[in-house]
Amino acid sequence: MSYAYLFKYIIIGDTGVGKSCLLLQFTDKRFQPVHDLTIGVEFGARMITIDNKPIKLQIWDTAGQESFRSITRSYYRGAAGALLVYDITRRETFNHLASWLEDARQHANANMTIMLIGNKCDLAHRRAVSTEEGEQFAKEHGLIFMEASAKTAQNVEEAFINTAGTIYKKIQDGVFDVSNESYGIKVGYGGIPGSSGGRDGSTSQGGGCCN
Amino acid sequence: MHETDIHDLSDDADYAAASKQGSSSVTRSDSSKRSSSSDPEDAQIVYLKDNVTIHPTQYATERISGRLKLIKQGSSLYMTWIPYKGQSSNPRLSEKDKNLYTIRAVPFSDIQSIRRHTPTIGWQYVIVVLSSGLAFPPLYFYSGGVREFLATVKQHVLIVRSSEDANVFLVNNFQDPLQRTLSSLELPRSLANGTPSSSFRGSPSDNNNQERLDTVTTSEDNHSGSGQQNIRQRQKTHDPARDLSIQVLEKFSLVTRFARETTSQLFRDNLVDGHGQSQSQSQGERRRNNWASKDHQPLEMAPIDDPIVPKLVPVPSDPIEFDKLSLVWGKPRQHPLGVEEWSSFLDYEGRIMDPDALKKRIFYGGVEHNLRKEVWAFLLGYYSYDSTYAERQYVVSVKTAEYMTIKNQWQSISPEQAKRFTKFRERRGLIEKDVVRTDRSLSFYEGDDNPNVRLLHDILLTYSFYNFDLGYCQGMSDLLSPILFIMQDESEAFWCFVSLMERLGPNFNRDQNGMHSQLFALSKLVELLDSPLHNYFKQNDCLNYFFCFRWILIQFKREFEYDKTLRLWEVLWTHYLSEHLHLYVCIAILKRHRGKIMGEEMDFDTLLKFINELSGQIELDPVLRDAEALCVCAGENGAASIPPGTPPALPIPEASIYQQQDDEVL
Repeated sequence: MSYAYLFKYIIIGDTGVGKSCLLLQFTDKRFQPVHDLTIGVEFGARMITIDNKPIKLQIWDTAGQESFRSITRSYYRGAAGALLVYDITRRETFNHLASWLEDARQHANANMTIMLIGNKCDLAHRRAVSTEEGEQFAKEHGLIFMEASAKTAQNVEEAFINTAGTIYKKIQDGVFDVSNESYGIKVGYGGIPGSSGGRDGSTSQGGGCCN
Repeated sequence: MHETDIHDLSDDADYAAASKQGSSSVTRSDSSKRSSSSDPEDAQIVYLKDNVTIHPTQYATERISGRLKLIKQGSSLYMTWIPYKGQSSNPRLSEKDKNLYTIRAVPFSDIQSIRRHTPTIGWQYVIVVLSSGLAFPPLYFYSGGVREFLATVKQHVLIVRSSEDANVFLVNNFQDPLQRTLSSLELPRSLANGTPSSSFRGSPSDNNNQERLDTVTTSEDNHSGSGQQNIRQRQKTHDPARDLSIQVLEKFSLVTRFARETTSQLFRDNLVDGHGQSQSQSQGERRRNNWASKDHQPLEMAPIDDPIVPKLVPVPSDPIEFDKLSLVWGKPRQHPLGVEEWSSFLDYEGRIMDPDALKKRIFYGGVEHNLRKEVWAFLLGYYSYDSTYAERQYVVSVKTAEYMTIKNQWQSISPEQAKRFTKFRERRGLIEKDVVRTDRSLSFYEGDDNPNVRLLHDILLTYSFYNFDLGYCQGMSDLLSPILFIMQDESEAFWCFVSLMERLGPNFNRDQNGMHSQLFALSKLVELLDSPLHNYFKQNDCLNYFFCFRWILIQFKREFEYDKTLRLWEVLWTHYLSEHLHLYVCIAILKRHRGKIMGEEMDFDTLLKFINELSGQIELDPVLRDAEALCVCAGENGAASIPPGTPPALPIPEASIYQQQDDEVL
């Protein structure tokens, strides 16, 4: 399918916080509590539309266990967006955010957009991290923040799409040189007026023409 | 295994007819003046057939026709197939490509079997399988003559029809010791059985090599046999990378005579500056001549009627052409080991009489499902091969008690104690989270409160106490799941898992060093076996081989359906050809897709995604055959590419022995 842009996303966070479930809810609109744990990385993709432009999200769902960090680090390369996920019912997954963020800062593009997600907000009765704490952490580190539930689908669309919106805005603001794929953005073959050559750098700063 | 029905082939109507025609083909050979004049004086052409063709690809324009001959010299029979020169309609098919397939004077003592295929549509063809397990590409007889071919072979060499498949003719398959002796007197010694390089290596262990070669010759099928055991010791003395490449190619050349033309091509790829190219080529040449002079002297030294003078054609490197190497394949897979055959491996007290034969049998066919519980216990090392029924019963009871003791260590932790034991709570939490995410779609593990899921949990937590340093890591539940499914017993599953983890534990080291060493060995093997692909990975920043991470971490568990995984694992656990067959499996899979990988210029991300999506798409048997062939081709050089102690090799103190040898050499 043709797209104006392709954004690479990476989902990171402790094991068992619901990374794969968030992805499945976003790509397939279903919640599957029983699925195999992620070894290495799994992939998902979905088309969304921003500003009337088709945008393909290619999402990398990573394994969360500490031992695999060295492998996970190699996946950051060229990611335009990251969903950093914790489980609001498990305090330790919130406590580990700083170390995840450090990995992301070190191994990803400096302009990568990071969305912090407090997952499992349907389990409010078992909450161990308050919404305010999440907000505060996001504010301190310059992240977008949302609480979500892969089970009820609450805020799942929003999390992925708002991230894409932020990235899209960065493109329009000229933060990215989209001809350079290390920013995690590929220019597609459809949707960009005046662009015939796809990855042709001469037209890639465009997009602003629509506003 | 190779049960044969030694009966006279004359009962076969085909053969009665063919024997009569046999002589006519001999006469026809006289019509070719050039061939008869250029053959060695004492060699006699006993069969000649034109328009025998190979089909390197499915494209009709890329077929290569040539002349097949059987040549008798002394008491030995040789087979040659030489492609015609310059008749190709396809400009893409260079002389080099054609030479790649040339078969020059292969003695029948090197041939294990010939399979005849008679498709309902199309030409008859035969596949010639060497004792090493490698095979030539199918030879299509466009002008007929398969019967005469086999009849002529039968006149000069002992062949018997396989009782399993009437179209398979076993060569040199001697059950009768008398015949074996006679044969060893008649047939020339050959190096084809695995280690051609050993005879020309001026290694200090030359005497050993000679002994080994002597034993190799009389054994019917031994491409792994004794040769593998001396590999590392010998390899230590000579291992410049260039030598390795040459020798691997020499093994390929056994099949395709690919080496002379391609060695230099490969080095052109390897050595960017181009220097040393002629040197390496001449080195290869020298080695070949050495080899030939020792073993195929009369025929190799004489100018055979070769209408093509091999030339180095400066073809621009098209790496996809190397796909033709996939024509080399391993032996056909056998049916799984059944109950009756299994009992034939046991003596009256239940000892396994010949563990190596058992391992070999399982390597080629696997095990029937209902036997797995018993056989896996041996393969994994829970039972020792020389134990009796009674001893095993005793082991089971002792080990069950031991398991309960270890299990009790965590079961006796009170909630109050757990509150103050963070490490325990973390481990238990991880395991609880993971066992409910392990193979739940299997009926054995599905549903709420499934007792087998509880067993997975208990065994993993007990293991994390048994091996507290390693603890628990994701992926372990994937390795345990099939073992519990097969053993159906908590304690036995635990101890089998313990044995497996003795080998695979390093996969889960916190610093990932076990994984990194395997990925490193994998890159070395690809460099050895497919340097264009290696170079591609290098140029594209893919040399970390992280795209093979999941394959190796959990032994392809996520790549195949459950029952295929069980089959693959039991094959890997035999360690029959190599302890590291899994790395050759990786290469076999990569090689199947190398054209696509390089053709589409996949970068790291694309490649990772592509490899991930192969899950469920890989056919096990062909991959195992390719892996076997690759392992045989790589031989000692392959083994030398894998650093000692690389998992799943046991972390044995022998590592220090290798170290010492290194020091001695230095």
